[in-house]
Amino acid sequence: MTATESNSARQAAPASRMASFLQSLASVRVGIVVLSLIAATSLVGSVIRQGGTEEEYLSLYGEKTYHFIKLFGFDDAYHSVWFYLLLALFAMNLVACTVRRMRSIKGERERRAKAPPDVRALAAAGPGFTAPAGSLGEISRRLAASSYRKKKLSETAELYEKGLLARYGVVIVHASILAVLLGGLIGLVGGDRGFIVLNVGETAEAAVSRERTRRPVPLGFAVRCKDFNITLYPGGQPKEYASDVEILDGRGEVVKAGRIKVNQPLSYKGVRLYQSSYGMSNRYTFKVDGREVALGEQEVARTGRTPFMVVRYAAEVHDFGPGVMVAYMDGEEPKTLWFLKDVERMRTHTLQGSRISLEGITGGYYTGLEMSRDPGVPVVLTGFGLMLVGLYINFFTSHRRIYVVSDDAGIHVAGVAARNREGFREEIERLSKDLS
Amino acid sequence: MITHDMILGISTILYLALFFLYIVYFAAGKKGILRIAWYCLLVTFAIQTAGIGLRWVESYSLGMGHAPLSNYYESLIFFSWSVSLFVIAMRRRLFPVITFAAATASLALMAYASLFPGIERGIQPLIPALQSNWLHVHVITCFLAYAAFLVSFTCGGLYFFESRGIVPPGRILEDINYRSIIIGFSMLTSGILTGAVWAHYAWGSYWSWDPKETWSLITWIVYALILHLRFTGGWRGKRTALLSIIGFASVVMTYFGVNFFLAGLHSYAT
Repeated sequence: MTATESNSARQAAPASRMASFLQSLASVRVGIVVLSLIAATSLVGSVIRQGGTEEEYLSLYGEKTYHFIKLFGFDDAYHSVWFYLLLALFAMNLVACTVRRMRSIKGERERRAKAPPDVRALAAAGPGFTAPAGSLGEISRRLAASSYRKKKLSETAELYEKGLLARYGVVIVHASILAVLLGGLIGLVGGDRGFIVLNVGETAEAAVSRERTRRPVPLGFAVRCKDFNITLYPGGQPKEYASDVEILDGRGEVVKAGRIKVNQPLSYKGVRLYQSSYGMSNRYTFKVDGREVALGEQEVARTGRTPFMVVRYAAEVHDFGPGVMVAYMDGEEPKTLWFLKDVERMRTHTLQGSRISLEGITGGYYTGLEMSRDPGVPVVLTGFGLMLVGLYINFFTSHRRIYVVSDDAGIHVAGVAARNREGFREEIERLSKDLS
Repeated sequence: MITHDMILGISTILYLALFFLYIVYFAAGKKGILRIAWYCLLVTFAIQTAGIGLRWVESYSLGMGHAPLSNYYESLIFFSWSVSLFVIAMRRRLFPVITFAAATASLALMAYASLFPGIERGIQPLIPALQSNWLHVHVITCFLAYAAFLVSFTCGGLYFFESRGIVPPGRILEDINYRSIIIGFSMLTSGILTGAVWAHYAWGSYWSWDPKETWSLITWIVYALILHLRFTGGWRGKRTALLSIIGFASVVMTYFGVNFFLAGLHSYAT
């Protein structure tokens, strides 16, 4: 800002200072700069690793660069304060530009209503022609056939208009972008996300956040995985996988049941559950000194004299069938030992005086569900629809006006088009040819 | 037994013939050759369409049954097809040199798809995430956008040559460029939005800042800027020509670059 400008700004009354701020906010130039900055941030975010751990950054970029990245929040660029600020500025710019445009459309309408333009001057400047007297009915009929709407301006002048909505195309597109941003904001404030891992038969009442805190995200109901199904292609790649689930309310009653497939989420009370991953998890039953213990992977049994855990599972151990490798502490020293389920001699071992035998291995799938609660989605989807409609109206329709004025010399026809003037010229020329 | 490979091979050879037909036209300047070239393009396009169709049919006999829009190889062929479709649809407005550039791009894409080592060319099973009707509309709109932007890029590049001989006058290049951009921009918007809706159903989030998504947004912003600079800034001529070249660089990054340099959710497209 130059010195004189800042002086005049200081002298101005607060109201007009506000107005001038709004005016500069409404400038397309501001919009272009902000939009460019959003693109630049997106670019940086796509190149620099997002949401990694400190160690990852240090090994990838070195210490100096990491400090720089951290300082500007480039490790989470799309959720950094200044990216949100950019989006907010962009939204304000859109609102301001839209208001200004609505005003100018209204102003233009009023101006035109007061003083209809000089048709002969229009005809000289743009597409137009003079038809012989008596062809008025024919012109009217032809224009009506091309869906022009007629408006009588005076005894001798008529206005034919088409594509009135086209002037609002830009407004619709801009409003739709605002709707998408608003929907995003609603999702950000009122939404929640997480994931749920369920073995077949298990029930969960909360998801786990993917954030580093791993905080629980309550569902507001319980979900039970009744069954998990997977079908494979002949080559062994997964073709389809699905979880059969039940939704249970607070009293434990089943209120909804259904199948969640990839591309086919299940929705209940604003929460959507998506099939996201799956895997195998085994449970191992041991008898420790006559007592039964069921263990999952990495679970430690503390029933006997020494704690132990399963560290490895093999479906086939040297042709002897399935077995598990068990780790235990022998004093200070970690040791491992194989238990083979189908070999009597290898099924039971004595560890530090405890008699331990592998009784059974039950295999099962677990299902990985993605959970999302996003009240902004309907708003975003409405924005999407509006954007497509707006783009179509803006780019592929045009506001066309044709003035028809009769006087002694004949009937003067002249028109104005806001867009695709080439096509409009052709239309007028065709009309002229048809009449002669 | 006729396979889709053979038919696509024939279409590649025809694209090569088309390339030389245009070269001959530019050298000899006979209008008759242009007519032949046009029919050659139509035949090539029809054969390529048949090849893609047959690949679709063959996938059913392999027990997979999906549209050939699922991996990098298939996307390259579809890109080439989209470019020809766009050129044929724009017929009345285009100039021989633009059709020539588009046909050369189609040829290059076909040749790259069928000759470059390391591209998986077999029909592969469709992973569950891609098993959706959104796949078709998402891929088709995106590649039509890419095709339109390719034509816009051609106009932008030609603008820097003197309008003489085969190079059309600047005003016409400007007009074709603009038309291509509005079609491309509308298609890209549709592509991004259908992708977002699909992601909402498949991944649980309509926007995840996956590199492909991010770059498509960057491309979208670049073209939005071009349109605004044109309408409200009054930018014309060399400046818009340069911008359409930058825009296409962003398209190339979105389509190729992301696959090779940045890993993400769209990584099946490599």
